[in-house]
Amino acid sequence: MNALKQKKKKERKQKKKKTVTSRDDVTEGHVSRKNKLSNQARGWNDPPQFSYSLQVAGSTRGPLAKKGPPTPAAGGPFCTKSQAPSRLELKGLCSLKGESDIQAESDLQAESDLQAESDLQAESDLQAESDLQSVSSVLAEALEACRQAISRQVCDDIAKRLRLLEDSWRSGKLSSPVKRRMNTLTLEMKSSHWDLADDIHRSLMVDHVTEVSQWMVAIKRLIAETRNLKPELLA
Amino acid sequence: MATYQEFIQQNEERDGVRFSWNLWPSSRLEATRLVVPVSCLFTPLKERPDLPPVQYEPIMCGRANCKAVLNPLCQVDFRAKIWACNFCFQRNPFPPSYAGISDVNQPAELMPQFSTIEYIVQRGPATPLIFLYVVDTCLEEEDLQALRESLQMSLSLLPPNALVGLITFGRMVQVHELSCEGIAKSYVFRGTKELSAKQIQEMLGLIKPAASGQQGRPVGPHDPSATCRFLQPVHRVDMNLTDLLGELQRDPWPVPQGKRSLRSTGVALSVAVGLLEGAFPNTGARVMLFTGGPPTQGPGMVVGDELKTPIRSWHDIQKDNARHLKKATKYYDALASRTAVNGHSIDIYACALDQTGLLEMKCLSNLTGSTFQRVFSKDYNGEFRMAFGGTLEVKEMGVGGTSQWKVCSLSPSTTLAMFFEVVNQHNAAIPQGGRGAVQFVTQYQHSNTQRRIRVTTVARNWADAQTQIQHIESSFDQEASAVLMARLGVFRAESEEGPDVLRWLDRQLIRLCQKFGQFNKDDPTSFRLSESLSLYPQFMFHLRRSPFLQVFNNSPDESSYYRHHFVRQDLTQSLIMVQPMLYSYSFHGPPEPVLLDSSSILPDRILLMDTFFQLVIFHGETIAQWRKAGYQEMAEYENFKQLLQAPLDDAQEILQTRFPMPRYVDTEHGGSQARFLLSKVNPSQTHNNSNGWTQEPGAPILTDDVSLQVFMDHLKKLAVSSST
Repeated sequence: MNALKQKKKKERKQKKKKTVTSRDDVTEGHVSRKNKLSNQARGWNDPPQFSYSLQVAGSTRGPLAKKGPPTPAAGGPFCTKSQAPSRLELKGLCSLKGESDIQAESDLQAESDLQAESDLQAESDLQAESDLQSVSSVLAEALEACRQAISRQVCDDIAKRLRLLEDSWRSGKLSSPVKRRMNTLTLEMKSSHWDLADDIHRSLMVDHVTEVSQWMVAIKRLIAETRNLKPELLA
Repeated sequence: MATYQEFIQQNEERDGVRFSWNLWPSSRLEATRLVVPVSCLFTPLKERPDLPPVQYEPIMCGRANCKAVLNPLCQVDFRAKIWACNFCFQRNPFPPSYAGISDVNQPAELMPQFSTIEYIVQRGPATPLIFLYVVDTCLEEEDLQALRESLQMSLSLLPPNALVGLITFGRMVQVHELSCEGIAKSYVFRGTKELSAKQIQEMLGLIKPAASGQQGRPVGPHDPSATCRFLQPVHRVDMNLTDLLGELQRDPWPVPQGKRSLRSTGVALSVAVGLLEGAFPNTGARVMLFTGGPPTQGPGMVVGDELKTPIRSWHDIQKDNARHLKKATKYYDALASRTAVNGHSIDIYACALDQTGLLEMKCLSNLTGSTFQRVFSKDYNGEFRMAFGGTLEVKEMGVGGTSQWKVCSLSPSTTLAMFFEVVNQHNAAIPQGGRGAVQFVTQYQHSNTQRRIRVTTVARNWADAQTQIQHIESSFDQEASAVLMARLGVFRAESEEGPDVLRWLDRQLIRLCQKFGQFNKDDPTSFRLSESLSLYPQFMFHLRRSPFLQVFNNSPDESSYYRHHFVRQDLTQSLIMVQPMLYSYSFHGPPEPVLLDSSSILPDRILLMDTFFQLVIFHGETIAQWRKAGYQEMAEYENFKQLLQAPLDDAQEILQTRFPMPRYVDTEHGGSQARFLLSKVNPSQTHNNSNGWTQEPGAPILTDDVSLQVFMDHLKKLAVSSST
């Protein structure tokens, strides 16, 4: 009876056999142990926070708990396009790296990194200012285009929040991923890719709410209003 | 039988239905003798990416007390354009729009593969979705800041046309006007005074007050002047609301030493329900309550404000020592009924599961202790997964009756259990056609504001239990039955004493084994169960130990929370809750599922346990020592680093998609949190039976709990005994 029971248990377990899926399809976003919300001293065992993009992507993947065997993969080595912060990543902090938003825990104790940092610092300041200019100009243009369509009060409100954005940017309160994504957002706005811009605004709200909450709602409004404008108003 | 497994799986995939028995006994007496009732788990809004909804109204039977929907089981005369209802046998003509149908040109709803079909109907103007936030301000500053930001973030996730409103509460209850210009205004209610819906609506200006004996007239459901003020479209008020949320302060009333904050949750909810009742009855709406502690004043209070009086424990409840329990439960029950009648639902977000009064509030729909943001997840169509204002009708053949339930908020995994009673007299002939049929009609408001009707029609053969008992036995779905019996157990546990429920469960299990086991009388070693039942006793063993039936070690609120989710989840998730899954990671091979047993705990393994509510990563003794020594940092031990990472990645997959988000525990051999794992595994080795001389694998567990082996031995003994 015991052997039969064991066999049956094994069969049942095998029906639900799961294996580690390939890491290849993990792109950006990851488990960040850092808190994105303001309560820094969270209790032990608070779950990792997930970035917006991972959540959106995650809904289409079959989780471990679903039935059916996933594609078998070797349990050991997996793709080293992993999220583990590596020392090589640090140097990339200041440069635009497209859509990768790795919140690397910078190990600035390493001397060689410090050196690299200071070299790049000057360069990055200039870069940051010009980024801000391009972002602000796109947003200002959009606001101008909308002036006729929306009330004065709302326009003033938006303008006020855009100034908040600029102040935060200049005073270094915004992190690099936020600045990078704002750049991308405005590029999408310029090319009239409204859905993409909207998606980026949402991802910023989810992933970096502390930094952006005060003014992001203005960007959201701008996207919503400009996409409804007649084409000739958009220069 | 292998064929029944396939049959069961196909039916679940297509219709979201799993029956305990797939052959139905033809009389009531025989049905009761089967022990497990004829019942099913039904997921009304199971995600079906392959099932596009049809853009027309369903065709219904003309008989007034029938109204069944046309389905593949109906007989159709294509020449005469007539169909016969399979529930009441009424012959119905097709409407003119169906003139072109024929044998080779059938409408979708007649085809067998569309036993589940969804119709989009539009009756009246499309109404927007409504979200009313009810926010507790008696929180620690940290928590309040986190909440502010979450709510601000949510404004970006809401559909732009949805209506949103804000009520804040502490000692007082404030309803905020969300007008677009200038000064922020709010209406303040005392937190101690119970008000009727009419009074609330009058005070908010939704009803003109009665003049000289006449009834107060409602201002009109879509009158912009009245309702607009409190519930406004997101796209219009998002900037103001963002500022309003950003400026939310802690409740200003100082809390003296030795006291709790005065939290008027009862009145806050009453105002919210009253507001929605008056402004938007019969439209999909969600009240979202964010609370940081128990209600401490006013109607619905769960505990007083003196800290020295602790909140009720199970002990207090059993000793009938919980002062506020009955009154508060009654209060929230009444609120829940009103809410349900209007098709609204209440979600409760508690920043700590423990001690927030969930036990009393459990009748209000949805309880969750975790991420708010996950609520707004989208499906493959980019539309929200939540559904509003659902009604479910169940029609069974022959009886002619229809049962109707309101399920005010639905998700794609919401699963209901239906218990059927066979009403045929014993020895009566099997009904004509040889099959019983059940139809589920779910009407709901989709998150894109469309009104939809989903119809699922299923049938199973009748069988004479006298002559076909083996066939009926092979049609048994042990997984579905385990969950169905578990739900019955949980239902009982809410009104009966714990030990009584366990006795009932044991009794049912013994009866089932006596009925279907093969054995020689009084010979336990001869006991056998066929394949279709072989895992059932194991499920019952784990169910008896589960937090759904064991309240020891959980507060009343925790137990409520677990039970609440248990009776709503689909079958796969429910099974995980009853019998957690355990995966092993080691250097010996790829990750694999292992027995939930103490023998699986080995020094050179990492275990990942999924109980649905918790995800526990447990590092064996040797692994823990290696980790402490830091081998994973060394380049030559890259594979160890990957081994450590593998369970984290798999846990991540689950954490991403599961709602509510599980609690995440990372522990190791000897760690205090290892108790999560140790309390769940079958203690096949305990300090009582572990033999120090032999090298048995696994770690003995310090417990007096019965192991599965002992349980099975006892079960066999009782089943074969001629005296039971």
